[in-house]
Amino acid sequence: MCACYVYGVVRESDTATALGDLPAVGNPNAPVTFVPHRAIAAVVSEIPTDRPLGAPEDLQAHARVLNTLAAAEAPVLPFRFGTVVEDAQSVAENVLASGYDAFVAALERLKGCAQFTLKAQYNQEAVLREVLDERPDIVKLREELEKLSGEAGYYQRIELGQLVAEAVAAKGDADAALVQKCLAPSAVATAVSESSSEDGLVDASFLVEDARRTDFEEAAEDLARRLHGRLRLQLLGPLAPYDFVANAMGDRGEEEG
Amino acid sequence: MRAMTVASRQGQYLDRPSGGGLVEVIDLILDKGLVIDVYVRVSLVGIELLTIDARVVVASVDTYLRFAEAVNRLDLARSGTETRGLPGMMEEIREGGAEHKTKGVLEGVKDTVGNVLGGGEGDEEEDEGEREVEHEEHPQGRSRPMSRKDRQR
Repeated sequence: MCACYVYGVVRESDTATALGDLPAVGNPNAPVTFVPHRAIAAVVSEIPTDRPLGAPEDLQAHARVLNTLAAAEAPVLPFRFGTVVEDAQSVAENVLASGYDAFVAALERLKGCAQFTLKAQYNQEAVLREVLDERPDIVKLREELEKLSGEAGYYQRIELGQLVAEAVAAKGDADAALVQKCLAPSAVATAVSESSSEDGLVDASFLVEDARRTDFEEAAEDLARRLHGRLRLQLLGPLAPYDFVANAMGDRGEEEG
Repeated sequence: MRAMTVASRQGQYLDRPSGGGLVEVIDLILDKGLVIDVYVRVSLVGIELLTIDARVVVASVDTYLRFAEAVNRLDLARSGTETRGLPGMMEEIREGGAEHKTKGVLEGVKDTVGNVLGGGEGDEEEDEGEREVEHEEHPQGRSRPMSRKDRQR
C-alpha cells in the first residue's frame, strides 16, 4: 500500500520548480510532485507504508527537497520529518484546505527570505587552555589531582570536570552573544538552538532576506576570521526556514515543546 | 558523511559545507517543522521512536569525567599545538591522509545515527580509534565528549 509523504507547502506559482530528479523519502525512484489547492500546493511523493522511516537517506532526502526549494527562492513551509497522509486527496482536503489561510499568511511572511544556520564548534584544546589561563583554582585542583591515584581521586576528578564544564559553558554563552551581535543586524529574525550552551557549541539560525544575503555572508566570514583558532564556524544555507516556520504560522505551542 | 567532507565550499575562514552531511541534517530537521493533526496522519513505525530518542539529554557524571580527562591530558608546557586545531584536522581528513584520526570522528557519527535511529551499528568501543593517536592530538579527538551523542546516553 502507498501513502503520501508531505515535505511542506509552497505557493502554487512555485510548482514549476524542478524537483523531479531528487530522490524521494522512503522510495528513491518516486518523483517528487505537487498537490495544488487554490493558491498553494503541498510538496509530496509516494511512499510505501510497509517499512519504517528514518534511514539516513530518508532524513537527507527530506532536507534536500526542502533546501532545493529554498535555494530556488521559493518560499516553503517545511513539515516535520515523517509526515505521511493517506493520499493526495486527503492532503488537499485535510491539510491544505483546512489550514489554507494560515499557510497563505505564513508563505507571505517568509517570502524573499531563507534560513542560514551557523554552527560553531570549539577547538577544545584552545578553549581548555583559555579556561586554565583564567582559572587558577582549576589549575590548582588539576595539580592536586596529579598526585592522587585514579581510584582515590574519583570525586576530585568529577569536581574538576564539573568546574571545567561550567567554565566552558560560560564561554559558550559569551560567544553565542558575540555571534548574535555580529550577525543579527543582517537578519530579519534569529533563533538559538537549545543545545548551544550545554556543550560549548553555538548553534544559531538566522532568517535572511535575499537582498541582504551578501551582507550576512560577509558578516559571517568576518566573524569566522575574528574567532579563528578557537572556534570553527560552519555556515549552512540557504535552507528552508525550519526554525522560523512555527512563528510564521503564528503558532508556537507545539513546536517549542 | 563522505559528501560533507569532500564537497565543501571553502570561504577563507568560514566553512560552507554543501549540506548533505547526516549530522547537519539531523540537527537541522529533527523536531522542526509544522505538525499536522494526528488524525490525518498515517503513522509509520519508527518515527515516534526517533523523535523521542533524540530528545533525551543527560548531563552526567560521565561528561564531567571526560572533561577532567581532557584537561588533565593538556600538556601545559607544549604550546605549539594549539594553532592546528580542528580546522587543520578537517583539512587532513579531506585529503584522506589521516585515516587513524578520522576514525574517531566517523565512529562518532555512526554512533549518533545508531542511537537516534535505533540501528545496530553503534556498539563498537568508542575509544578504539584514538589509542594510537599521539598524545598532543587527544584534546581534539576528545571534542566528542562535548557532543550531542554523549548527552543522549
